Amino acid sequence: MKLIYLLIFSFIFLQNLNAKNPISSPTFDDILKDIIKNDKYIFDDENIEIKVPSFADNPIQVPIFVNAKKIKDAKRMILFADLNPIPKIIDMDLKAIYPIISLNIKVAQETPIRALILDKNGVWHIASNNIKSFGGGCSVASVTSSDTDFGKFLGKINGEVFEVEKDTYRIKSSIFHPMETGLIFGNPEFYINKIVLKDNTNILSSMELFSAISENPRFIFETKIKSQNYIIEFSDVDGNVFTSEIK
Amino acid sequence: MKYLIFILLVFSSLKAFDYKLKPIKLNENSYFFYGKEEYFSPLNGGDIANVSFIITQNSVILIDTGSSYEYGLQIKKEIEKITSKPIKYIINTHHHPDHFLGNSAFQSDIFATDYTKNEITQNGDLYIVNLVNIVQSAMKNTKVKAPNKNLNSKILDLDGYKLEILYLDGHTKSDVVLFDSQTKILYSADLVFHKRTPATAHADIKKWIKSLEELEKIDYKFLVSGHGIATTSKKPIKENISYLRFLDETLKQSAKNGLDIFEILEKPIPKEFESFTMFKEEFERSVINLYPSYEKDLK
Repeated sequence: MKLIYLLIFSFIFLQNLNAKNPISSPTFDDILKDIIKNDKYIFDDENIEIKVPSFADNPIQVPIFVNAKKIKDAKRMILFADLNPIPKIIDMDLKAIYPIISLNIKVAQETPIRALILDKNGVWHIASNNIKSFGGGCSVASVTSSDTDFGKFLGKINGEVFEVEKDTYRIKSSIFHPMETGLIFGNPEFYINKIVLKDNTNILSSMELFSAISENPRFIFETKIKSQNYIIEFSDVDGNVFTSEIK
Repeated sequence: MKYLIFILLVFSSLKAFDYKLKPIKLNENSYFFYGKEEYFSPLNGGDIANVSFIITQNSVILIDTGSSYEYGLQIKKEIEKITSKPIKYIINTHHHPDHFLGNSAFQSDIFATDYTKNEITQNGDLYIVNLVNIVQSAMKNTKVKAPNKNLNSKILDLDGYKLEILYLDGHTKSDVVLFDSQTKILYSADLVFHKRTPATAHADIKKWIKSLEELEKIDYKFLVSGHGIATTSKKPIKENISYLRFLDETLKQSAKNGLDIFEILEKPIPKEFESFTMFKEEFERSVINLYPSYEKDLK
């Protein structure tokens, strides 16, 4: 009889462990472990907001908006989509920017999306949302690279700064780039894998990017540091570096 | 008994999707099928757009054919209940799948502009794959059948029945509008959505507004829009213009203020559009699709 109680107890306990993850998926644990190793983590949908479309009609351009400003002095922010062949999206060293990002991604199928934010005490806060889509976004060639004029525009950067509230400067920037995943035969991978954001003298943030980000990527970052002259530097896997001032 | 139920279930699932169509009479010889004001789903079988037909002296003219082979078959059956005249002519108003995928159910001549014909030929299969995903079983046997007659004259004479053709754009790159001067019915296709939020997947807002201003000049008795119920009201065209202006202005202002897509979506719905069906979903789609092109004007 005791054994049965023990069984029931352990069963309920295990169920609860799973229930903590608001959206379970077969790959979540492995991807998480790969990224944060044995660090401590908590599920924290209360302090982190992930916005996704109610249905992602276009799987190659799915807008995402993450806001974790409620977590003060956050150190690092990572986004990943559980069921994408390239799960990782972006890994940001938050130095002097807020834990906020807006970008478009590709999805291969309906997938959970996670935001991991490392707080000042070394604990990861994890938020989840679900992207509903019929998918197919990772296995199509970029529209950009089939354009014959694409050499002319490659690396063309646009950007603008907005003071959205007191001491919060929003930097919007976009760059013309095919962001090829390499998953299609005949189209080798070719994507931006690094962004460095600076003011005149300091690095505000450096980020690692992955090809799950949509072609001609567009970003929103926010910083409290006012500058007359922000500099954004994009590097791609072929070694091209594209730099632009943003005012 | 259990087996019987099981067998019945199996057989009923083999039965073709029933669209339960009933044509609505506009006058003596003009009818339309009212598409549901919904997005494609397995429950509606893709029946979301209006299809119209005109019975002439010797034949039947069909304007658009719906979203599937099965839908095509079923409107054919309904038309045959009303008249024994053959459906000799079809007009495809534009290249969206809810308007031409029923083509293959007919042997008729199919008229369309060059652009529409090319789009149907090139992307028809993609549309089918996409709809099989969303609509599922009702798409059974649906194949692409491209138009075989080129539409380019101002007056289309079909067996002696004359229709005025307007070549406009904005909803897509080629939107054909038909005006029947005998009955004063305006078949606006998807340039007008009546009390249903316009869909903008391939839209050019500025051109669309221009086309609508063109349509405002026509003195119609009935307006059969591509979506939403047919009406005698003169308001729908104005309402569409004001929605498109609102969309354009919202996106412009938002880009100017540096907003994110989701910040735009959180804004309250203006009162005048509260009565539009599908506002939330179509507005979201439009913002996601169109906003990047407004952001391009970043310095």
